[in-house]
Amino acid sequence: MRPVTFSLVMLALLTGSGAQADPVVVVPARPGMDRLSHEEVTNIFMGRLRALPSGAPALPIDQPKDSTLRTSFYQRLVNKDGASINAYWSRLYFSGKATPPLQVVSEAQVIQQLLTRPGAIAYVERSQVDARMRIVFEFPP
Amino acid sequence: MNFCDWFLRLMAITLAATSLAHAESPTGGSQWPAFDVKGFGTVGIARSDDADAEFVRDLSQPDGLGKHWSGKIDSLLGLQANLTLNARTAAVIQGIARYRYDGSWRPELSWAFLRHDLSPDFTVRLGRMGTEFYMQGDSRMVGYANLAVRPSADYFGPIVVSYFDGIDASLTTDTGNGLLRGKVFAGWAAEKAPFVKPYTWDLRGSRMVGGHLDYFNGPWQLRIGRSQIRFKHQQPLNEAGRQAGFPIDILAAAPELSIVGRHATYDSLGVAYDEGRLQVQGQISHIRYDTSAYEDTASGYLIAAYRIGQTTPYLGYSRTRSSSAKLSTPMPPLIAAGIRDFIDQTHADQATVSLGARWDFMPNMALKAQLDMIRGERDSRFPMRNANRDWDGRMNVFSLALDFIF
Repeated sequence: MRPVTFSLVMLALLTGSGAQADPVVVVPARPGMDRLSHEEVTNIFMGRLRALPSGAPALPIDQPKDSTLRTSFYQRLVNKDGASINAYWSRLYFSGKATPPLQVVSEAQVIQQLLTRPGAIAYVERSQVDARMRIVFEFPP
Repeated sequence: MNFCDWFLRLMAITLAATSLAHAESPTGGSQWPAFDVKGFGTVGIARSDDADAEFVRDLSQPDGLGKHWSGKIDSLLGLQANLTLNARTAAVIQGIARYRYDGSWRPELSWAFLRHDLSPDFTVRLGRMGTEFYMQGDSRMVGYANLAVRPSADYFGPIVVSYFDGIDASLTTDTGNGLLRGKVFAGWAAEKAPFVKPYTWDLRGSRMVGGHLDYFNGPWQLRIGRSQIRFKHQQPLNEAGRQAGFPIDILAAAPELSIVGRHATYDSLGVAYDEGRLQVQGQISHIRYDTSAYEDTASGYLIAAYRIGQTTPYLGYSRTRSSSAKLSTPMPPLIAAGIRDFIDQTHADQATVSLGARWDFMPNMALKAQLDMIRGERDSRFPMRNANRDWDGRMNVFSLALDFIF
């Protein structure tokens, strides 16, 4: 294997197969919600402070467990792989402090929950964003 | 505490009733209540290379490792049920079976509390919940959540309480430059601890109060905390003395060894840096006693790990040292020597270098291998069980563990 090809393969392996996914953080399109900072999104999705800037409770929603979008989101949010995120949540869950984001079984359900639950916030593939949603955070290119 | 029995019963009934109600309306439009059961566990084996003292995970265990492989110090199984009553309120119950103070594996109710968010940044819990004298103290049984096979025995060893009955409250605020979270708790201990075999020491009803302040910013967490416990029951010191052929009233001869109404105060400072592949954390603590039954102790540890693919090698160092206990009451030399013998058992002066690796070989499971090299003084007996006269303070411990969650 040529060194360049090898490094590309290694890079692909290290960054995960979802490197092409482009997650953006969205809320239902209602007036009065500004953009969130990287730190605020981290606080909400990692269970540190589940509040929107308005002070209202936030309800984060996860993509299905094996989705590449989910892998890519946490990789870019906190630079952690699936196993590390899992270990992180087992600490908070089993100490009774916080519960992980809402778990759903399909991408369609993410959007359905996002549009119906109060305080819902989710990450979706950029191409899935439509008029019913508003982007509040995107990763720098 | 009668109140606690009553409270636990009430919670069990609420849980049963609500899960029943939930089962009757499976298609209802509401998402609440939601009920889920999860678990965690460790199958761990370990041995040492020294028969002169027995290594224990912490002093809640009455005896520990010899030179043969044993599964008793690290193996455990926990089950937890979360009942989410609405968006702001949840009930949590957890039971753990592990090798405990009386040498049995009888399961204990470790958590049973109601959690209510008065607002997203202000949470109150009422019932039985985990003690957090030190950072991560309430997740030290969850092997899967932790890097090493077990929390540092030099650091967490003296902590024999893992839950209490009472209340805690935490308030979080976004400073715009990191989160600040303050937490306070108050309640009563609900456990027993092993004493000289076969005696146990009843900690139940001992009043506990404490609090800590956390600062979170990106990969950083800083923690400063203080907790205090006021002991309610006497230690069976005279009984243990009689058993050892020392038939005098030790507590009358040296009243400073009495522990009833006395306090232990735990001060600690913790820092964790967790970014991508790199994890570093360290803590230091000081325990102060206003009784001579135990020696004031300073401890600390530092552990660093770097993840490479599925494997995370780590390196740790820990140290514990206690100041020599003082006997203030004048007494005949022979009696003084006998009593010295007893309080010498509470002296600690050792350091440990730990080397290991965690392998996340499949989802929800991790395999760990670890070597602990304990290097201490001959008189470092407190962290061990059953140290004999030949104990030289040096020991290596070999451990393998499979941690899982389900």
